[in-house]
Amino acid sequence: MIEAHELSRRYGPFTAVDRVSFAVEEGEIVGILGPNGAGKTTTIRMITGFLPPTGGRVTVFGKDLFAEPRKARRDIGYLPESVTLYPEMRVREYLAYRARLQGMSRAEAREAIFETMDRTLVADVEGQIIGTLSKGYRQRVGLAAAILHRPRVLVLDEPTVGLDPKQIVAIRELIRTLGKKRTLLLSTHILPEVELLCDRVLIIDRGRIVAQGTPAELHATFLGRHHLVVEVRPDGGTGAPHDPVAGIAAVLAALPGVEAVEPLDGGPVAAEPVAAAPAVAEPAASEPVRPPSEVVRRSGRFRLSVAEGADPREAVFRAAVERGWVLLGMAEERGSLEEVFVQLTTRDETVPAAGEPAAAAEASEAAETEEEIPS
Amino acid sequence: MSGLWATFARELRAYFLSPLAYVVLFFVLVLQGAFFSLIVYHLNDPASAAGRPFDVFFSGFPFWMILLFVVPVVTMRLIAEERKTGSIEVLMTAPVTEGQVVAGKYLAALAFFAALWVPTLLYAVLLDLYGEIDWWTLAAGYLGIVLIGGLFLSVGLVASTFARNQIVAAVVTFAVNLLVFFVAFLPGMVDRPLFQKVFEHTSVLDHMDEFARGIVDTRRLVFYLSTTLFFLFVSARALEDRKWR
Repeated sequence: MIEAHELSRRYGPFTAVDRVSFAVEEGEIVGILGPNGAGKTTTIRMITGFLPPTGGRVTVFGKDLFAEPRKARRDIGYLPESVTLYPEMRVREYLAYRARLQGMSRAEAREAIFETMDRTLVADVEGQIIGTLSKGYRQRVGLAAAILHRPRVLVLDEPTVGLDPKQIVAIRELIRTLGKKRTLLLSTHILPEVELLCDRVLIIDRGRIVAQGTPAELHATFLGRHHLVVEVRPDGGTGAPHDPVAGIAAVLAALPGVEAVEPLDGGPVAAEPVAAAPAVAEPAASEPVRPPSEVVRRSGRFRLSVAEGADPREAVFRAAVERGWVLLGMAEERGSLEEVFVQLTTRDETVPAAGEPAAAAEASEAAETEEEIPS
Repeated sequence: MSGLWATFARELRAYFLSPLAYVVLFFVLVLQGAFFSLIVYHLNDPASAAGRPFDVFFSGFPFWMILLFVVPVVTMRLIAEERKTGSIEVLMTAPVTEGQVVAGKYLAALAFFAALWVPTLLYAVLLDLYGEIDWWTLAAGYLGIVLIGGLFLSVGLVASTFARNQIVAAVVTFAVNLLVFFVAFLPGMVDRPLFQKVFEHTSVLDHMDEFARGIVDTRRLVFYLSTTLFFLFVSARALEDRKWR
């Protein structure tokens, strides 16, 4: 397991990471989530012992990472953000080098290299020069090198960044199998990845942990209820005059389990303006352009806020039948982690508060580019 | 120690996997050969002063040009490249110490640098066929190359630790080593006896003359080994600090 106590890192006056504490238990997969410049990479670098913190400490299975680095580092496998392999080396050569760096004997290394190449599916390129490999393969070679010495903790910084969708799926699969037996810490800004892979999530923003918990807990805490989007055609398909939008909303709102109704895109429009259509099309215009106000919309969508634990879908269907509406669609809209994330981390971009001028955001951005390594 | 040897082996291999090594080898060979044959022609001229070819070779200006130009090229990428590409992150999260990494890289650079001079042994063998070579004197000369080159390389390693850009590292290395080299000319310019004395003891040019004549002075050994170790120490500490992150 890996523990961070009050971890801080300052770059001059800029605090990249501010008293961050967390623990990753054995066998757990924890995701660090945050926008660019939030301090993810800085945190990861301190957790892996690359960057000395300006405050706090890190322990890996009880060993202090900076007091006894050589012992503690042996338990960590690390894949940095910019997967940095030596492009002029061959895959197997490189893995052999990494094994020696870990202090493995030649025999140990050979066995580990074969096993790892099989697991990470790089055995077919073992003789290739790394510089000629595709990004997906390079990522896998990086992963292979990180798990070569069988570390108990695996730290991956943005493991799927820059890969194509197919490669992403493959790498995620690999991460999932690797995480079965290990303690795994993963940083990313791709939310579905976290939901897919992680047992627990830490959300970091501007150097602080703003939320942590399982994806489900975060949902419950920050989003609470879910929504139901209903699309109906109130004229019953006949073009006949029908209930006004407000009337439809009222009917839906009266259903049990529905707390509020919000008509989306203005709701259905009454059927009269249809007759005006041929008159507009007279001057041989191939496509008569109508102002949006005249667009005939016979169906309308409504978003229903659903009370905790209620399921009004059946009631919606019955109400529609009863009123003679055609029910065109009904979809549950569950808050995604994305919304939690946006809610937690986008305050300053939408509302530039007086105390936080744009300069601060720029400064943190500059710091991020500073710490990023051009590949 | 595994960290030292892993770094050493990779670094040495990296030299021979890059085109740079072959470019350097090629030009050094050409220059060495050209200078040496010029020296031999010159000494064969009855009008010229008598001298031993290797004495002239080791103390000649061309020899210093090779030394001054080759060292930055050999050392510039050592740490700067790892920092630029980020592979330093992998290196410094492995269970190895900064000292091991610095030592491994330095020894690899020294080995490559030393290898550049191995072909000149062939000239010695050739000369021995027609004349007589004092092999111990020659050994002292090579010791001088390794010691002085070793100091220059350690300067290069420090520059490569501090500069992220390889070109900057190379330029700084060249400039600093050039300054060290010019110390040899200072005694003639200052008249304070104290400074003169100091400059005499730090003049790489005079030291090389001594070595080439077969004189191995312990003071020189102490001077080169201690300054080199000092620079390696600075490099290791700088790497440890990672202030430049």
